[in-house]
Amino acid sequence: MDESAEKGFEEEIIGKNELRDKTNGIIYGGGYLLGVVALDNLLMSKDRFEIKYFFVSGRRIKSLAFLPGDSFPSLSDICPSAKLYEREIADMFGIMPLNHPDLKPLMLFPENWDAAVHPLRKDYGGVKCIGPDFKRYGEYKYKKVYGDGIFEVPVGPIHAGIIESGHFRFSLRGEPILQLEIRHFWKHRGVEKLCEGKSLSEALKIVSRISGDNSVNITLAYLTAAERILGINVPQKVKHIRVIFAELERLWNNVRDIGFIFMDIGFNLWAQNLFVVLEDILRMNKSVTSHRYMFDIFRIGGISDTAYIDGAKAGDIAGLLEKVKDELKKAEKIVLNSPSVTDRIELAGKINKKTAQELSLCGVCARASGLKRDTRIEIPYLLYGENIKIEPAAFEEGDVFARTRMRIKDAFESIKIITSLCRSLPGLLPEAETAADKEAADAASNTIAAGIFRAGGREAIGNAETSRGNAFFYISTDGEGKIYRLKYIDPSFRNWPAIQYGILGDIIADFPLVNKSMNLSYAGNDL
Amino acid sequence: MKIPFFIKNIFETKTEGEESWGKVETAGNELKKDVYGKLGRSLFIRLVDSGSCNACENELSALSNPYYDLERFGLKFVASPKHADILFITGCMTRNMLNPVLNAYNNIPEPKFVVTIGDCAGESSIFRESYAVMGPVSKRLSVVMHIDGCPPEPKTIISSLISLFRK
Repeated sequence: MDESAEKGFEEEIIGKNELRDKTNGIIYGGGYLLGVVALDNLLMSKDRFEIKYFFVSGRRIKSLAFLPGDSFPSLSDICPSAKLYEREIADMFGIMPLNHPDLKPLMLFPENWDAAVHPLRKDYGGVKCIGPDFKRYGEYKYKKVYGDGIFEVPVGPIHAGIIESGHFRFSLRGEPILQLEIRHFWKHRGVEKLCEGKSLSEALKIVSRISGDNSVNITLAYLTAAERILGINVPQKVKHIRVIFAELERLWNNVRDIGFIFMDIGFNLWAQNLFVVLEDILRMNKSVTSHRYMFDIFRIGGISDTAYIDGAKAGDIAGLLEKVKDELKKAEKIVLNSPSVTDRIELAGKINKKTAQELSLCGVCARASGLKRDTRIEIPYLLYGENIKIEPAAFEEGDVFARTRMRIKDAFESIKIITSLCRSLPGLLPEAETAADKEAADAASNTIAAGIFRAGGREAIGNAETSRGNAFFYISTDGEGKIYRLKYIDPSFRNWPAIQYGILGDIIADFPLVNKSMNLSYAGNDL
Repeated sequence: MKIPFFIKNIFETKTEGEESWGKVETAGNELKKDVYGKLGRSLFIRLVDSGSCNACENELSALSNPYYDLERFGLKFVASPKHADILFITGCMTRNMLNPVLNAYNNIPEPKFVVTIGDCAGESSIFRESYAVMGPVSKRLSVVMHIDGCPPEPKTIISSLISLFRK
């Protein structure tokens, strides 16, 4: 196996002055930014800091790596999606992006944290740096709109309903929104630092709790990376079952999100109909995997015992999906045919294709704005690209209507995939073999884990398509196989800034609708 | 759109034939008796997420779906802490959420109770070692009850609330 297949990406080492030129080249060639990862090599006896820019270019992942010293050139003018990553690096490592237009602290709020604290540096002790006196270090400065009759509406961090915490600040004149500033990271839990020093299987429990409603797909992205590092090839039937769970999770997410859209336009009857379907799926999840949100159903190289699917379980799943399909068909009919619904969702929260391109959006948001981005097609994993062919689909309009239709389409696609996999599953599963297979896989992964790590460690990336878009993991391990650096990039991290553009000119009453149509995660974003 | 289509969907009982349906109904009615008897017909709940993974929020919103429909037992999730009797806290209490949580608590009129939901909010949180986490919640506020589970299922939440009022 060549180096790039082993790690999942091709790396080019460049000087930090070449970064802008090289990035321009990739972007003009049709590539887009997937993520930025910074590393502190203090314990690896190399040059201290290292930054890697990951791009999707063609059907491959290309990385530009360089040594920044204590600063590096900002890409925010040629590649606006780099803006947040650069702020994150300034916070977490104290490496400064030069000429950055808006270098406010991102995760470490100036009210709570000393500006000299950089938690992801290896010499940061991990001590809770705030004393009992809760010293106030500074003040966060919101962007301000000046002029006659301008007023601000602050919302959050605690919202009216049962949702996560985040702050939105609208500036308005009359009804139309002139500016929205999103301030997130209230729920910053320090997941990345927490995973450091743990073994790949210990971190699994934390990883599956990064964002509860995308647990399965995020875990799959992690497992792709971890299994690359360990050199494990998962057996065909494990892939089979993993795809069933991945699609099941995408399905219930989409059902819920379509329900939320109905809820926010005041069409409670259909919202509740879909919530009944949602509850049915969750209960089935519980009976199949013994967990409603399918936490902890995977282990490295396999599936945990409680979640193994046999022929009977596969039949249950396929049976319920018939009912789900019926309900979704009714919902689709309403979305497409009732003027009272389309009036409300057409043109609301319009994100132009150019904006989507510049912000490197992913998932439903990208596909509803005319970009055919789907990890399952672009960077195939598991059975995708082999047994399962997904037609690239996109809507051009970029509004709530397009996103709703995209979600319905996705849901039907998931149902199709699960049903066909459930049908072919019994043939793949001679049940007597299961236990012996598992032992063999366990033994193999143990020997591999014991012998494989050469001094200096290994690195790999993993991708998966969640219901929100691409989930990206970068993992590097030290010589003992413990995690040296783990970086997770949630699809929501990429997509949140898009709302700030999509909402402009709309009214505040449209905001919940736009927000729910994208349904981004706060927990995954804040980490 | 034809009217009968909607009428049919309004009156079609979605939850019929469900085995555990009877249990939720009984449990809920017991809860209702307590709420009506001890709290003057209403119990208003304010939820604050102090750093959860969103699974607990999902379960709490599931309490309002037609299977459970918590409001018919006299319990309601409210928008302002000033209307609330009970503060539900989910999540591991991050440093950044600490002040908003304390603010919400201070704005709830007396008598008030704090209930923590899910493993993260309790002592056994897997995030407790992190530099950004100031939990468990019980270190900051006096908690009357902790509901276990990752996340606790809707049925568990309902039965735990019953046991809270029986105390």
